[in-house]
Amino acid sequence: MDMNTAKLKKNAFRVTKVRGKTASRVRVPGGHLEAKYLPVLQEIAEKYGNGTLHITNRQGFEIPGIDFADVDKVNAALQSIIEGLEINQEEEDAGYPASGTRNVIACIGNRVCPFGCYDTTGLAKRIEKAIFPNDLHFKVACTGCPNDCAKVRMHDFGIMGMTEPQFDPNRCVSCEACIKACRTRSVGALSMQNFRPVRDAKKCIGCGVCVINCPDRAWTRSKKKYYRLTLLGRTGKKNPRMGEDFIKWVDEESILKIILNTYDYVKEYIDPNAPGGKEHIGYIVDRTGVEEFLRWALKDVDLPPEAEVYTPLYWKGVKY
Amino acid sequence: MIRNDYIPFPSKVLEVIRHTQIEYTFRMSFDGEVRPGQFFEVSIPKYGEAPISVSGIGPGFVDLTIRRVGKVTNEVFERYVGDSLLLRGPYGNGFDLNEYRGRELVVVAGGTGVSPVRGVIDHFGAHPEERKGMTIITGFKSVNDVLFKDDFKRWRQQMNVVLTLDAGEETPEHRIGLVTKFIPELELEDAASAVAIVVGPPAMMRFSVAALLERGFREENIWVSQERKMCCGLGKCGHCKIGDTYVCLDGPVFNYVKGKTLLD
Amino acid sequence: MGYRVSRETLDLWLATHAADYEIWAPHRFVGEGCFSDTDSVRYARVTKLEEIELKERSHYSFKEALTPASQTLFYFTQEACTEPEPPVKGAILLLRSCDLHALRRLDDMYLHNGPADYYYARLRERVKVVLLGCAASCESGFCVSMGTNVSENYDMSLDPVAGDFLVDCKDADWAAFFAARGCGEEPVTPAHVEENAVKVTVPEKLSPAVAKASLWNQYDKRCINCGRCNFVCPTCTCFTMQDLYYDENARLGERRRVWASCMVDGFTDVAGGGSYRKKNGERMRFKVLHKMLDYKQRKGYQMCVGCGRCDDVCPEYISFSGCVNHLDEAMKEVQGK
Repeated sequence: MDMNTAKLKKNAFRVTKVRGKTASRVRVPGGHLEAKYLPVLQEIAEKYGNGTLHITNRQGFEIPGIDFADVDKVNAALQSIIEGLEINQEEEDAGYPASGTRNVIACIGNRVCPFGCYDTTGLAKRIEKAIFPNDLHFKVACTGCPNDCAKVRMHDFGIMGMTEPQFDPNRCVSCEACIKACRTRSVGALSMQNFRPVRDAKKCIGCGVCVINCPDRAWTRSKKKYYRLTLLGRTGKKNPRMGEDFIKWVDEESILKIILNTYDYVKEYIDPNAPGGKEHIGYIVDRTGVEEFLRWALKDVDLPPEAEVYTPLYWKGVKY
Repeated sequence: MIRNDYIPFPSKVLEVIRHTQIEYTFRMSFDGEVRPGQFFEVSIPKYGEAPISVSGIGPGFVDLTIRRVGKVTNEVFERYVGDSLLLRGPYGNGFDLNEYRGRELVVVAGGTGVSPVRGVIDHFGAHPEERKGMTIITGFKSVNDVLFKDDFKRWRQQMNVVLTLDAGEETPEHRIGLVTKFIPELELEDAASAVAIVVGPPAMMRFSVAALLERGFREENIWVSQERKMCCGLGKCGHCKIGDTYVCLDGPVFNYVKGKTLLD
Repeated sequence: MGYRVSRETLDLWLATHAADYEIWAPHRFVGEGCFSDTDSVRYARVTKLEEIELKERSHYSFKEALTPASQTLFYFTQEACTEPEPPVKGAILLLRSCDLHALRRLDDMYLHNGPADYYYARLRERVKVVLLGCAASCESGFCVSMGTNVSENYDMSLDPVAGDFLVDCKDADWAAFFAARGCGEEPVTPAHVEENAVKVTVPEKLSPAVAKASLWNQYDKRCINCGRCNFVCPTCTCFTMQDLYYDENARLGERRRVWASCMVDGFTDVAGGGSYRKKNGERMRFKVLHKMLDYKQRKGYQMCVGCGRCDDVCPEYISFSGCVNHLDEAMKEVQGK
């Protein structure tokens, strides 16, 4: 049996335990899809696979038990999903391209969740558009609010929704609901002064709990959407660690640019002998030093005036 | 043009009498008509406006007994002689002394509840010919909480006085126990025609009225005065509303026949 | 007098009258809702038709036009109290029928419950009303049950019809305005709702005794005493005084009144530390009986106008109308005892 496994993997199929059997990996950027695609998956699983589906950690479906011989047919069958999800595809009916950069995941976000500060799936799809397909090992995740249900701090780029609370003193009735909610559900950035809440902007994490709990719309959300960008979290064998705060009150445009810049940086500095041509960005940064990384990452990035860049950057984590 | 009832008038502080660590009587210049049981909205510096019962009435003045609360300090309270406070009022119905004239009168009051009835006690103390027998049962937490100490000396000459403390040691002046303990022992000519006024914290009022009824008082011969949060005194702010009643407009003094229907 | 008025003419009417009146109408505040990417429909001063939300019933009532959520009553120094400048303009309020009925309740509270309220009265006498017709019932309203679905005491009515507007002008000057601009005369009856999906029945013999019913207990835990129901209500009038001091000695400052809620902690706190209605169920009972019993005993008609805003705004899905519809069995429960 002959199979170019590198080519197979670049086409989003897995080399499995079972000889001659592969698994198709169906990415769903932002984790939200129209239900009409589920019958397509069902048909592929029942016709070419073993009739089961695995829901992956990164918000995709993996269809196991597919014969190598059926890869092309599976790719053709996937076409409607690939188009429907607006995946960047190089060649029609050729399946999902690339598998280095991982699916951009998202919590359910403000399409459903009351706490979400933005449309997480929407942003995930825009990032997908900007960075796919790519062989380099990048992990990006979007979460709607600082609760971080998407666990974005385990990713190279963690994007956490924020809103800058706007206060209209003329609508405030001094009920202190915002104060209590911020104290018990968030970071306690509000205090009562002269019958009105005062926000400690340094302390505020932009979660929007004050807005949600305000009974009279004295607190509202900023028109502009903001994010906290965390950097270089990872799992893995050598040194798993949480992503650290990089920029608070950053905008979407800057985030996209920083991610794209980082691809340039990785191409420049990746270990040429890295297994499979993949190396966690964090190890590269350890090697070049943070300063060099930042020089690349922030190149031509025009941060909004309200953005706060954390410095120095320092990662901890377990070392084996 | 409609009058702006929210604008207070300045009233000169003629004298400040300290009763306890936290309770003071301010003697304020005032020339208008006022009766015991009515209240003023008083602007207390560093606190805001609060409804304060008239605790005494005299020529050109009213007494307002104020309990120090929150961030207001003793200094603020003591240095105001010669200065002014802003007042609005008087508001509320107050006690109608005619209801008690020619009758046997019992006043049961707890703590700051003595303030609104002090004018009634003073009047019938000074005019024994206007009533039959008179007894006051007044309760305070401890000897340090007793208000109007000088008045009690006078009242003892004029009527039966039971001054009781929640706890502590009995002395010739002080009995020990809640006011309700002394209601069954009241010596009365005829409980069925005697009148009673009850003012104090909610639980104290409830139990005192129950004891008075038990002692033979008639519901229609009992009057109570309600303390409620009031931000306007004008029937607008809603804080004092109980059922269909606005304490500021319809009270704070209620005959018990009405008072018993007021359930919070 | 009824007219068919074009958008352009109505815009001209708005622009013309904005000179002498603050024109208050429902307005969509995009992105200012409770949750992200949601809107808040509230009353705002408008000068153009496009600023008016003509479809959705406002989430908050018109009352802020007459009694702002926070209103400075006067500034004080040690010597004197100074009123802020009175409003320069009168007000035109665009109200749906439920809210026009609510205006009567506000009048009765502010003008006829005790002495007339100076601040309310001085604006109220310069208020004119435009009735917004309701071509269909909103989802949660029960105006028909409360008898507030039809209004006739308006200065003008306004119904959007196929790109134009039908107006019924009772105000002679306004009628002349439209007539002078060639608007076609036709008989106009403002649209009104004849049936709501939600219906309520208040028991004839509802009495304060219902306070003892078990109905209220469920709200002890369900209600979070946030007060939204009060703040959106067109008939809730309660307020609290606040003294704001500009200096250390508390000699200079301002007194303002802000909306208060009988559901929120602190509403009944007295200086000595006491308070009443500590349980949320007791507060719910107080509010429901205020709207459906106490006010009627005092004024002869129900306070609630059935706009349904309190139902829509409650984050805990407590339905006011649902509660009212349980009053009958609650009465039976207490009478059975």
